[in-house]
Amino acid sequence: MTATFAIVKRLLASNKISFIITALVVLCATSSGDVVLSNGNYTWLLAAMTPFFFVFYDDTKLMHLGASKKDYYIGCLISYGILAFGISLVNTMIHLLIDPAYPAKAVINMMDVCKWTDNGIIVAGIQQMFFLLLVMIFLHVLLSMQPHWYGWLTDAVFIAIISIFTPIAPLRAVLGGFFQIIMLNSHAILHMGACLLLSVALSFVGLLVLKKKTL
Amino acid sequence: MIELEHVTKQYGQTTVLKNITLSIKEPGIYCLLGRNGAGKTTLLKSIAGYQNITEGIIQVDGKTVTTSTLDTGVSYIENFAKHFNLPVRKLLRIASEVNPSYDYDFASEMMERFELDGKKKFHHLSLGMKTMVSTIICLASNKSVVLLDEPVLGFDAIMRVEFYDMLTESFQKHPRIIIVSTHIIEEIAKTIQKLIIIDKGSIRFFDTLQSVETKAFSISGLQKDVETATQNLNVIGQDTVGGLITRYIFDNPPEQTASLEIHPLSLQDFFIQMVGHKGGFAR
Repeated sequence: MTATFAIVKRLLASNKISFIITALVVLCATSSGDVVLSNGNYTWLLAAMTPFFFVFYDDTKLMHLGASKKDYYIGCLISYGILAFGISLVNTMIHLLIDPAYPAKAVINMMDVCKWTDNGIIVAGIQQMFFLLLVMIFLHVLLSMQPHWYGWLTDAVFIAIISIFTPIAPLRAVLGGFFQIIMLNSHAILHMGACLLLSVALSFVGLLVLKKKTL
Repeated sequence: MIELEHVTKQYGQTTVLKNITLSIKEPGIYCLLGRNGAGKTTLLKSIAGYQNITEGIIQVDGKTVTTSTLDTGVSYIENFAKHFNLPVRKLLRIASEVNPSYDYDFASEMMERFELDGKKKFHHLSLGMKTMVSTIICLASNKSVVLLDEPVLGFDAIMRVEFYDMLTESFQKHPRIIIVSTHIIEEIAKTIQKLIIIDKGSIRFFDTLQSVETKAFSISGLQKDVETATQNLNVIGQDTVGGLITRYIFDNPPEQTASLEIHPLSLQDFFIQMVGHKGGFAR
């Protein structure tokens, strides 16, 4: 496990650009009016950017340092867990401490939009953590596939699903239902269970992709 | 131990490795020689599990190696390996952290000996220094198989000599299979135990250097005399100039006679004869 944690340390350390961009956006973003966006929402940027660095920047370099594929992959999953926890903690703190200080009538935080705060702030934070973990693992798997034909095929399938399901009402309901389960879900157990299950399933897909990866 | 059984690798319609069967059982420093495009890098990358082969089996220490192998026990480094842009000393330390079998003391010692500035960031190093850092990381990995793909690229003469010393020391400290691919044949001869020659995707030669020294000869003279002397020998090449002929053999040399000139072949000449080309003309 020592090697895995060394990889976690390196992955997080080489993710500085994501940290800096996220911090700048969170600190500098402004909005005005009666209804404003919470700056805490922008912490999610870190979850969106991190997999790009892990997949396209760190992977080959760690292999050249003698890390095994197994340690790299476990290291990535642990790092996503740590980041999901950290991002969720920061956004929850912003929602608790900074959002009420806005002069605006309403401050929109994604935790409210996704109805997670219906279950109290602590459970909402945990729900957010599981959701962000899912997002990062999903992005990791999708990005890992990109050099291969099946990556492009997956992109095409996603585009086709969104293009076809959105304009047709019954299909739109199916798509909406899916997002209601994984994102806009006030039922904490169902939400966290679905996110965790999908994360595990995607992790196995990611492992298969990693096994095909050439250097 | 490395076992290759009927290994074939194709890129589209091009066959890069052709039905290679090879068994490397003993620890030692092996030199992989071949012309550009002969298949050296493909062979090494396949053994490292960096890419899949089209047909056949590759086993390292009894374990089949493919890209699916999550921990191969093989350390491979290519000459333009990408590394984090960190100070050299930190890079070596991280390598020791991510690889439990890494010999940090050896890496540090080599860094000092090659006068690598530990504080200098990797991207600020010269090509030779970058290659040296990669090579040190690979050798210090202490994995059971170490594959170095053209490690002396960008090295000056002094660095090359020091590199060969480092290779010997590393092997003496931790005997294992080390395969070095290079084009600078004569220099590495003192360091290696066995020679592998690959040409057009096939293994043309795999034996000890002693066998080259005792069996590789050129025999020159009049055509009739040379043909008679070499008729039952393993002739690997031939040059004809006017009425004189030189045949290159890999066999026990014939008896020395007044009409024949028999000379041992240098490693480079032996290699040239084995790969069967000179000056762009097929022989």
